[in-house]
Amino acid sequence: MPEGVVFEDPTGAGAPVTLERFAVPKGLQDGQQRNGKVPEPDPHYVDLGMLYRFARVEHVRRSAPEGFVPLHLAVRGHMGTGKDHDIEQFAARLGLPYYRIPLTGEVRDVTLIGSTRLHGDGKGGTESRWEDGDITRALRGPALLNLSELNAAGAETLFALHGLLDRYGALDLPNGETVRLRPDVRIFGTMNPTDLRDYAGTQTLNKAFADRWVIWEKDFPDADQIEAMLERRYPSLNAPYVEAIGRLAVEVNASFVVPDAATRVETPLSLRSVLDRLPTGLRIHAADPDPLRRAWEEFVLPHVDAFDRDHYETVWNAVVRKGPATPPFGKT
Amino acid sequence: MRQWAAVPERLYRLPTLFPEAAQPIEAVVARYQRVAPAVTRFARTLSGNDHLTVLLGSVAAASEDEVVVDPRLFQAAAVRGAPVTPDEMAIASALHEVLHLVSTDLDQELIDQLEKAGPVATTLFFALEDGRQETQALRRYQGARSVLGDLYRAALGAAIGVSGALSQFVIGCFLGAARHLDMSFIESRADPQVTLVLRESLPLLDRAAAAPNATELLPIALELMESARRHGLIAERGRDAPAASLASERREANEATEDLDRVRLISPIVHDLEGYETTKRVPMAATADSERKGPAELANDASTDQLLRVSQAPVVYLPTGMGGKLVLEQVPSAFARFSAEGRQSMAAAARRWGLAQRQVASELFPLFAANQRRGLRSGYDQGDVSPHAALFIGAGLYQRMYERRAAATRRSYAVSLLVDASASMLQPRGDGAGRSPWGLAAAVLGAITLARLCDDLTVDFEVALFNRGFAARETDTEWSFTRNLSQATAGLRRTQGGAAARLTSTVNHYLVKGFGRRWREAEDLLAGLFYAAAEPTAASTAVRRDPRTAPPLSMFERAANVDEFNLIHAAERMAKLGAQVRVMVVLADGMTRGSVEALESAVRAIERSGTIVLGIGIGDDTVAGTYQRFEVVTRPEELTRAMIDGTRGALRRGLALWGLDTWWQRPVRSMKEAVNA
Repeated sequence: MPEGVVFEDPTGAGAPVTLERFAVPKGLQDGQQRNGKVPEPDPHYVDLGMLYRFARVEHVRRSAPEGFVPLHLAVRGHMGTGKDHDIEQFAARLGLPYYRIPLTGEVRDVTLIGSTRLHGDGKGGTESRWEDGDITRALRGPALLNLSELNAAGAETLFALHGLLDRYGALDLPNGETVRLRPDVRIFGTMNPTDLRDYAGTQTLNKAFADRWVIWEKDFPDADQIEAMLERRYPSLNAPYVEAIGRLAVEVNASFVVPDAATRVETPLSLRSVLDRLPTGLRIHAADPDPLRRAWEEFVLPHVDAFDRDHYETVWNAVVRKGPATPPFGKT
Repeated sequence: MRQWAAVPERLYRLPTLFPEAAQPIEAVVARYQRVAPAVTRFARTLSGNDHLTVLLGSVAAASEDEVVVDPRLFQAAAVRGAPVTPDEMAIASALHEVLHLVSTDLDQELIDQLEKAGPVATTLFFALEDGRQETQALRRYQGARSVLGDLYRAALGAAIGVSGALSQFVIGCFLGAARHLDMSFIESRADPQVTLVLRESLPLLDRAAAAPNATELLPIALELMESARRHGLIAERGRDAPAASLASERREANEATEDLDRVRLISPIVHDLEGYETTKRVPMAATADSERKGPAELANDASTDQLLRVSQAPVVYLPTGMGGKLVLEQVPSAFARFSAEGRQSMAAAARRWGLAQRQVASELFPLFAANQRRGLRSGYDQGDVSPHAALFIGAGLYQRMYERRAAATRRSYAVSLLVDASASMLQPRGDGAGRSPWGLAAAVLGAITLARLCDDLTVDFEVALFNRGFAARETDTEWSFTRNLSQATAGLRRTQGGAAARLTSTVNHYLVKGFGRRWREAEDLLAGLFYAAAEPTAASTAVRRDPRTAPPLSMFERAANVDEFNLIHAAERMAKLGAQVRVMVVLADGMTRGSVEALESAVRAIERSGTIVLGIGIGDDTVAGTYQRFEVVTRPEELTRAMIDGTRGALRRGLALWGLDTWWQRPVRSMKEAVNA
């Protein structure tokens, strides 16, 4: 009997959702490779609600109510909000092979769909053979596709995916083959907001393409959520550090999201800085009189644009001023 | 025009509360400017209003969408001897003021109740409200809160020492509501009776700190007052007549407020009822006066505008280690209005003083045209191909055929002309045939001649004026200049006292024509300046006739210059250009207000950096002791010739340094010969 996975609403408001895990069918030609692409669940991952929302859509899909067509979910949010991590962890929980396909301005439809290529026939001649592109290859078995940076790819590239994403649910290859959307394939996407921020190559999503997605916003986590993530990942990190890092992240990111260019910063304090860099800095400078300040100087400020330095330092002075006097790790 | 409501002087008695400012106001404002974007963002978060504007102004004010903070409050905070850094002080004091401005909103019923409750209860109420707001608004800004705590602790000992029992109690109540109360410290310093009452009052102070709004503080204030009265902290007035009793209570309350001000940072809106009402009334007065909002960062107030201008001016450092602010501006464009008259006047003067500009240019042209640097560096595989590449490779000058652009300018030569623009340059002086105001006129004519010469020779050239006084803006007319001057002076005198003169009489550097600007674009401006300089009486008449469009002649003030700041600044600007031969010509007619030693060391430092500096003294031989290359002139034709000859000689010396004038052997006619020819 297939294993069940329970998705709980972190707010406690909604009922838990239980879903059966997928299994890669035996006998699949690339079965071994697919099994290897099922991500490991991150023991430090904290669901801020996104997985639960995914699970509710998945639950509806599996119940196949009348008139239902598969929906494809895209998550839009600023850098460092953990969009791809959410999708990867959904794949991990459901046991789906995870294919992250980054779309850039350089990606062309042949890269995604596939093309006919010439191969040596071993007799001195050549023969043409169809070779699957990244998406086609993923679609041939159970998979969770994450088309990351959706709005970085050119519209003409994305047109090739329209059939796959709408009611037709299939990809017509130039060689005449039709690759249908399997019931064990899920398509997700991520994108950065399109505004004046420095997300090189992004553009407004083509309306027809955007209409084929359900787009959910992912905001920066709040202080409680950051603290929960830090506590999960670093159980020995002392509470004053957890609180201070949480407050710094919230204030910097509040300055990042304001629409007024005169009062905002152009670099957010990403989850990578909060969960990876700062704690590493704290370990390195644990013996320093002010480990948090040292970690801030070495692992945060170098990522900040020069014109944002004053703002970052003002936030530091307003929110923390002096890091906790206790050692960062090991409960005191 | 925006008129601020009058503010009670006692709200601004900072100089009596604090020692003479250790930091000039402009430094405090400059530091505030660095934290202002973040402070505005915090203020918007605190108020929940994304459209809130935080302005600097000479009077604190608060309305729904706008708060005006008075930079003197930051200055007052900055002079406390607390263990905090200037940056910490800037953010804490600014955030403190902003949080009170956005958080304080008392309804009329509460105000009526306060008036009935009496002065002591009102003082206690405002002490509690001040502390409550800090506790609640700064919950997420613990860094700023800790700075305030340090500031209060630094002032507490002295304040307790000079305060009476009621004052000590009010201070304790404020610190309790702000959650900065250290009872052990109070016990060691304060009156034992005060300590006792404060201990009893701790639950009330906790309630005050957690109160959801100001209305809930009044009953607490009344309870605290009763407690203080019971323990004899408030004088008994049983037999006094009601009026005398009220007056005596008011004195007591005012004294307590003043003593509390020694500890807390003063914020007029939570200072007392009068301060609250004044701060809230100011924006209404402003709105009534004008629908238009002021610039983004200013409360449309000339004195604060000037303060901000000075604070934003760059600091120029001299080789002696001294430094000073230099206000940078473009010369007012209204001078171009005199261009037609200026051209006629210039033609007459050129004939009178015997200038033959074209002769000079045509003589030097072949030399300079042949030696203009292409601004390219060889050794790269992409870029321009010089049509002369083969020749240069053959001559061993280039290593590679392809080149890329490497310098900001394609030109090898740059000439900077700095002209003293103090009023003394407009004074009549002997010109050989009598007395006329030829100093600035001859300098401008020389500048025009030099500009044409440099334009013909494709030499980078700039002209700048320098003076000391109230700095004019590029858009100024006589009317706007004099209006701004009087408003800023009056406002700064009121708010800054003795510092007003320093803030309104600045060292100014006006760019007339920059390196990057085409000479033709500046020609009208220079012609207009010439007219103003050569015909000051006629120009003044025209200005009086139509001051709203006429150029600001009043900008030429009779105040001694600080030449060395201007020289260093111009030298830095020229160095950034990347020209190899740099010549700076400085025209001045008197002593620098700085020191002769500082000027001399500035000139020496510039010369050491490879720039040739020529000092031309107009009827004054100060240049002889300060410039390594100088000339003193006493007649207008001498001045223009000295400028041209000096520059030409310097440019030729530059060529000689390259060893290039060895193949340019054609003799050059002297200036006199050229003119005669």
